[in-house]
Amino acid sequence: MFKKVTLEKRIDFVSALMEKGPLFAPVKGEKDFEFQRITDPSVVTLDFYNTSMSPKFVFFPQSEDLIRYRLVKNGAESAPVPIDTPPSVILGVRPCDAKSFEIMDRHFLGAGVIDPYWKERRDKTTVIGYPFDPRTQPDPADFYNALGIRAADTAGSDVLMIRRDGDLLLKSLTEKGSGLLTDLALSDGSADDERAFEEILREGNDLRSRFLEIQDSEIAGKLSRIFEDKDFWEKTAEACIGCGICTFVCPTCYCFDISDETLFNEGMRKRFWDACMFTDFTLEASGHNPRPKIFQRYRQKVCHKYAYHVGKYGCISCVGCGRCTRACPVNIDIFSVIEKALKR
Amino acid sequence: MTAIQQIEENLRREAKGMLERGEVSVVLGYARGLDEKHPQPYAAHKVDEVADLIFNEYCVHNLARYLTRYPPGTKIAVVVKAADSRAVVQLIQEEKVKREDLRLLGIPVTGMKDPKTGETIDRRTTGAVVNPVLYDVLLGEEIHGVQTGSPYDVLTELEAMETQERWGYWKKEFEKCIRCFACRKACPMCYCDPCFMDASRPRWADKSPTADGSLMYHLTRFYHLAGRCVDCGECSRACPVNIPLYLFHKKMAKECEAMFQQAAGMKCEDKPVMVTFGDQDSDEMLK
Repeated sequence: MFKKVTLEKRIDFVSALMEKGPLFAPVKGEKDFEFQRITDPSVVTLDFYNTSMSPKFVFFPQSEDLIRYRLVKNGAESAPVPIDTPPSVILGVRPCDAKSFEIMDRHFLGAGVIDPYWKERRDKTTVIGYPFDPRTQPDPADFYNALGIRAADTAGSDVLMIRRDGDLLLKSLTEKGSGLLTDLALSDGSADDERAFEEILREGNDLRSRFLEIQDSEIAGKLSRIFEDKDFWEKTAEACIGCGICTFVCPTCYCFDISDETLFNEGMRKRFWDACMFTDFTLEASGHNPRPKIFQRYRQKVCHKYAYHVGKYGCISCVGCGRCTRACPVNIDIFSVIEKALKR
Repeated sequence: MTAIQQIEENLRREAKGMLERGEVSVVLGYARGLDEKHPQPYAAHKVDEVADLIFNEYCVHNLARYLTRYPPGTKIAVVVKAADSRAVVQLIQEEKVKREDLRLLGIPVTGMKDPKTGETIDRRTTGAVVNPVLYDVLLGEEIHGVQTGSPYDVLTELEAMETQERWGYWKKEFEKCIRCFACRKACPMCYCDPCFMDASRPRWADKSPTADGSLMYHLTRFYHLAGRCVDCGECSRACPVNIPLYLFHKKMAKECEAMFQQAAGMKCEDKPVMVTFGDQDSDEMLK
């Protein structure tokens, strides 16, 4: 299904999406762009390169209420917080981020245990992908091409949206996507629009971001071999200050912690993002910490993404979106780390 | 002001000499990151690593942050700009590092640029000192005659607000916090191990990122830094959600200076204002 939204109809289009349910779309902040739940259609912008935080929070919010409880004499009364999400839409997802949803599916849905929170939101959310414009310069931190992702890839998107001058061209890729486009009652795109659309997809196949030949099994094997290479890891992580930004902005970092938060006799069991870069991530009740040093924690992050994830789920858990590099307060660049590891 | 290339050349020469003579076992400086505009802190341990050291206007990081990471007694050479040298002095006052273990490579410089935004860093987001307050070797000529003005001018707008309005402003800013803790990790003065936020018994704030817990975190850090913040601006530059932390800490620094006539990290002989008591001290806060 191929549809078109003209420039003057753009706000109507966003409003129509909002009527379908919660809409998440890029909004300009003070200094950068973020995906936000939209309440005013006019704030949505498509003039962005990529957002600072990844859109993973739509499926995996930073904080999630699991069980509500009340302490009573000799115990507690508890009830799970119902998982009920209305059908939602994420508009303007870059191909590397759309791919990240598929990678996260392997963990949350394919590990033998299905995460009901992830599943509910994934099932009910339609992803409108938005390829990188082949006529704009890629950000120097990006390296999605090195992970086999092209600027106009369709993986992970239900609808693909391309901008042609001021107009938006929309093509459905899945049943969910065509369902949405049908419901919105948009006008059809012309044959000329469709040719332009295909042309942009073709242009997106050219290499644009930084590139390096990375074979999943090769890097995984390499990292296991250099695991004990303390010199390499100490040198690599010597600048690291051990904050958690890289994991928080990452579209494929999924570690969380669970905590009971009680006020007087009522409380909530919550889960929330945690990070392998934090000192207390592996701190044991005995006081022992198997990863007391920053280099050990940094090594864990790199090896999880590029080695353990390959072994467990058959793919690298990184999409080369460049967010960790852009956000790092001390400019550590994971692409350079992988480059150096391969040469080691 | 000495040309930045000359500073870089001087840095390599001094670093090489110090390592060769065995005066230090590590030189803390900067190396190329993703590109020249994104340098990263770098530790040269060997003479042949000195060639990797660079210096340019994007080398903003306060390297004093790394000093407490090395075992006590390690002989360290460290590159310091004005605010960084104040952090070193403050750490010496607090007995976290010893003066005799350090070789300070001072750089007088203005017009540094934020690697994330490209914006020039000036007294709005950092202190107004341009020459290192303490050094062993100066890698460029001292800068004189630059009108820097007060680092606290930027507070005018906040100070003009009504209490409730200001409280509302900060509550809104801290609601943005995602608890990545980059601010405490980038801060040269945040060396508590464990940080109170990581303690579980007692737990000072919710582990999940609630607005109240975030406020608790920032307010506590704010008080922990009273009379200690050297106004380097690293916390604000590290923040991924752009909370203007520098305003917060500048306000406390200003109050402390007014009450105790002492700015943080200016002289090694000073005592941190919060650990001393003098009969001349202001009793303003008791009124």
